[in-house]
Amino acid sequence: MKNILGLLSIFLLLLSCNREDSIAPEPYDNPEIPLDIPAGFPSLNPAVEKNRPTKYGVELGEKLFHENKFSINNSISCASCHKRGSAFADNEVQAVGVYGRVSLRNTPPIQNLAFMKFYNWDGSKLRLENQPLVPIITHEEMNSSIVEVINKLAVDHVYRHLFMKAYGDDAITADRIYRSLAQYQYTLISANSKYDNVRRNEGETFTESEARGYQAFQTKCESCHSTELFTDQSFRNVGFPVNPSTEEAGRARVTGIPADLMSFRVPSLRNAEYTAPYGSFGQFSTLKAVLDYFDNGVLEADNLDPILKEQDNRIPMTEQEKQDIIAFIKTLSDEAFVGK
Amino acid sequence: MKTLTTYFALCIGLALFVSCNDKEDPVANSITLHFNNTFGDETIVLGDAISATATENTSAEGQIHHFSELKYVISNIRLIKADGGEFPYHINDLDKGATVVNHAKPQTLDYVLSNIPTGGYKQIKFGLGVKQDLNTLDEVRFPKFYSAAGENDTEMMWEWGAGYRFTKIEGFYDTDNKELSIHTGSTVEGEEGSYTQGVDAYRDIILDLNTNAVVGSTAPRIIIKADFDKLLSGKTNTITLTTGTGMGDNATPNIHTAAQMVTFVDNLGGDGTSDISGMFSIQSVED
Repeated sequence: MKNILGLLSIFLLLLSCNREDSIAPEPYDNPEIPLDIPAGFPSLNPAVEKNRPTKYGVELGEKLFHENKFSINNSISCASCHKRGSAFADNEVQAVGVYGRVSLRNTPPIQNLAFMKFYNWDGSKLRLENQPLVPIITHEEMNSSIVEVINKLAVDHVYRHLFMKAYGDDAITADRIYRSLAQYQYTLISANSKYDNVRRNEGETFTESEARGYQAFQTKCESCHSTELFTDQSFRNVGFPVNPSTEEAGRARVTGIPADLMSFRVPSLRNAEYTAPYGSFGQFSTLKAVLDYFDNGVLEADNLDPILKEQDNRIPMTEQEKQDIIAFIKTLSDEAFVGK
Repeated sequence: MKTLTTYFALCIGLALFVSCNDKEDPVANSITLHFNNTFGDETIVLGDAISATATENTSAEGQIHHFSELKYVISNIRLIKADGGEFPYHINDLDKGATVVNHAKPQTLDYVLSNIPTGGYKQIKFGLGVKQDLNTLDEVRFPKFYSAAGENDTEMMWEWGAGYRFTKIEGFYDTDNKELSIHTGSTVEGEEGSYTQGVDAYRDIILDLNTNAVVGSTAPRIIIKADFDKLLSGKTNTITLTTGTGMGDNATPNIHTAAQMVTFVDNLGGDGTSDISGMFSIQSVED
């Protein structure tokens, strides 16, 4: 009888419903990378806590960031528009994707994103992990699909090995791609400019022009370009020339709130020297052109920012002040960050 | 040897009992949902700007208009039994339970719900659009729906929002045939019930059937009328189309955006509170 029961139980075990292998993941050594958070920076985006950068996650993310297989014809990667030498932006008026297709907007720089609450000029995304799918599928950008991307990566042994190191097995999943790309970008922190050096009393000092520029900046610019990120992360309509595309509505495209029409996220001014042209669709070729525009007067709008409305739709500046402000803005350039 | 054979037979018998899938309710038949896209009582004929055959409609504000393209997504279908019980139809599976109705493709006007339990049904609920938790363009999870939505002639992806377009209407208005282009889709971020930003363009539709749809000996057809006269002349909003780049202009520019979109969404799918049917109504239930 004992034998029969034994036989039966073996039989029942064999008739298991779930055929998924429940082999425990291989133990793997992939330490977290501590984020070096600069003094005075705002708090991290809460998504970072759920996706802390790891040694191999970041390594994988960096490789993916430079991977042309993300585009339909293997011609462009994230790094094609987000070039390190331009603070991970580029110098096109509007971003250029596959087959030379031109996008709606100017490429935003990728720096200090771990501290941002909103992504894209209209703040459409609140978590960096949700962003990569957008360029992958957009007609004017990579024009591909995540399954296409996964299939291309899956035949590459190097990637299988990297996914194994980062996640413990070699499964290439959409989620892991998004998480790795975000991890890499979280590590792109820029806080080693001359301004930072001066502020931290590390030996450098402002020139007279830079010092005057900093003074002028504090009265003319800092209401919006505040905090150590040099943006208060608000959305404002500052009366810039309007994108003629019928697709553009600024922040209102996302929120549906009329008061957000043609409002855009205040850009960080860190590394602005490297990211010309300026404006949501590259309206201004130089920093001087931006300041001239503010000085001459901006476009009227019902929802024009109150700060501008109070000053007759302009920010008056003398030519000397403009020169000085630009000199100050250039102290925000982080040469090590852009690899110069 | 004989005992061993007996044990073996016993084992086989046991094995037969240990079935992996629980048997579902007895199933017999199907229900076909037919979407009749109309202006009032007249089924729409699409046409280009100068078409002589396209169905013309006049809005409450007196604007003449016709369509060249008309598409929308139906998902989250639930059938309410005569006794009040609810039969959800693959509501969490876009591949099996959602469809793109494309007026230019007659085969998409009929959506067959298969393996429906026998019995009478008194009400149907469905979504115009895709619930937020499934509205992620997850090609890995729902390759069939992703492909159907993404076909070149469909373009029901809203790339920058990383979700599906819920309705896509192209056409012409006023006597000079200005373009109208009305796209709806959600831009919300966050979890359902606590969205942190954006517009939720998904609408739940509830329609009582005028006679019970009885599944069993027959496979009923439910004719659902989608009256696109409501687009401009709805229960919630009376809309005048204007072309331009201003804040109030709605015919083409901002319609790709959320700014003017909600008024159209409420007209097409109801406002979710006082109006739970929008442009939809039950035309008939056929055995």
